[in-house]
Amino acid sequence: MSGSSIANETIDHSKNREPFSFYKFITNKYFLNVVSIVAFLLIWDYVAKEKIFRDSLARPLEVVDQLYMLTYMKFAGTNLAGHIWASTQRVLIGFIAASIVAVPLGLFMALNKYVNAVVKPLFDLFKPMPPIAWVSIAILWFGIGEMSKVFIIIIGTFVPCLLNAYNGVRLVDPDLYDVVRVLGGNRRDEIFHVCFPASFPAVFAGLQISLSSAWTCVLAAELMNSRDGMGFLIKRGMDTHQPTLVLGGMVLIAAAAYGTSLLVTLLEKKLCPWKRTIENL
Amino acid sequence: MAHKLKLHCDNVSKTFIQKGNQEVPVIRDVTLDVYENEFLVILGPGQCGKSTLLKIFAGLETPDTGYVTLDGQPIVGPGPDRGIVFQGYMLFAWKTVRDNVELGLKLRNIPKSERRDIGQHYIDMVGLTGFENHYPHQLSGGMKQRVGIARAYANSPNIMLLDEPFGQLDAQTRMFMQKETARIWEQERRTVIFVTNNIDEALYLGDRIILMEGKLPGTIKTSYDIDLPRPREHTNIDLLKLRATITDNTELVL
Repeated sequence: MSGSSIANETIDHSKNREPFSFYKFITNKYFLNVVSIVAFLLIWDYVAKEKIFRDSLARPLEVVDQLYMLTYMKFAGTNLAGHIWASTQRVLIGFIAASIVAVPLGLFMALNKYVNAVVKPLFDLFKPMPPIAWVSIAILWFGIGEMSKVFIIIIGTFVPCLLNAYNGVRLVDPDLYDVVRVLGGNRRDEIFHVCFPASFPAVFAGLQISLSSAWTCVLAAELMNSRDGMGFLIKRGMDTHQPTLVLGGMVLIAAAAYGTSLLVTLLEKKLCPWKRTIENL
Repeated sequence: MAHKLKLHCDNVSKTFIQKGNQEVPVIRDVTLDVYENEFLVILGPGQCGKSTLLKIFAGLETPDTGYVTLDGQPIVGPGPDRGIVFQGYMLFAWKTVRDNVELGLKLRNIPKSERRDIGQHYIDMVGLTGFENHYPHQLSGGMKQRVGIARAYANSPNIMLLDEPFGQLDAQTRMFMQKETARIWEQERRTVIFVTNNIDEALYLGDRIILMEGKLPGTIKTSYDIDLPRPREHTNIDLLKLRATITDNTELVL
């Protein structure tokens, strides 16, 4: 009896196959996606070929050629993979170091009003300062080596990590704590069964924002001063007037940022299987 | 029916302070007795203090005056001896159906195997067999509230408190859930206090209906015994007569 009742409430997922229609095909979402990308590349290629920006815009295939050449040819001491890894390593070190401290601190701030009272004013003081503003002082303090670059990334990722963890806890529906207490739980149970899991999606949103900020910071740091990394390729391309190198570096850094963001998404899927995913966001 | 006193509510009043210093009296001088294994329905329109009364029974609110006892012991805070089903489901989105149902047992350190058996029993009881590993967002409204009911029952409370549990469901599902509630109550006898604003629901389920005034502060207007056999039909003539009596006595919109 109850079995049939459930069936009444579930939704029928079956789909009817429809015959092929030209209209359906050209309005297909994926088809339009491809059209949009191909059109963009064609316009790019046309603009480059017609020299609208004189010789400062390379054609798409020239950029691909340049990147391919760098895979087997050393450029400033290392090949393409070396440059990609140099930047990625800085991002990962800075991002992980910042999030390991910022996320627990944000959670702790939301849970304890004394911690909050101590940390919040400092945090509010530094929050509006753009991370790039720290570049020069970082170089004065740490020189032009790795440390100053990682420092900028830590500065840039700390704020969004902490802020999202903090808000994640504060925005938990307080009635859910009542449920835990009604079921016989104590404060500790409220934290572990409600607070932390409920704040996970916000924490991960913060990690994503941090990561994108980390890439901005590494680029800024490498443009200022570096001997390797994707920012260095862009800078060198600019100094020697090689648009293929500039554009190649830009494409690479976008791809690397996308790759790391994908890793965080995968981690989130693994840790929050209950989260309803929003398509096309 | 057994007439052992289960819950006693003595002269309870409650006033909320809103926006600084504006006093809103919510309940005034409510006295009522609930007997063992009774299905008591508290019926009243929206904003009549009935949910607050239930929260006081749950121990989530404290009365300004008066007191409430359960099995002779005063209620001082929330506890697992009272199972609560909330209007907004209040499920843990990050827990599967099974983990939601078993949470109360887990919090009380019941060993895993025993937990599993008890949890499964109540999942089966509410008709969610096969949905143990689903997450709440994968369920319909009616199914979510089944999880809420199973979660409350699994803790083997002395008394069940249901706060407009079917308020968010469509009419069809609501009717069906009423039937299910009656079935479950027959199967696992407990003292039940069921708060609703729906007169048909009250008549269908209750042994006794406590009718509250339709304005704040909430007071008890009167009470009706429903001595009709179960399972009941919404179209039963005696039920309809009683319905007419009650509606004559209320400002409930029909």
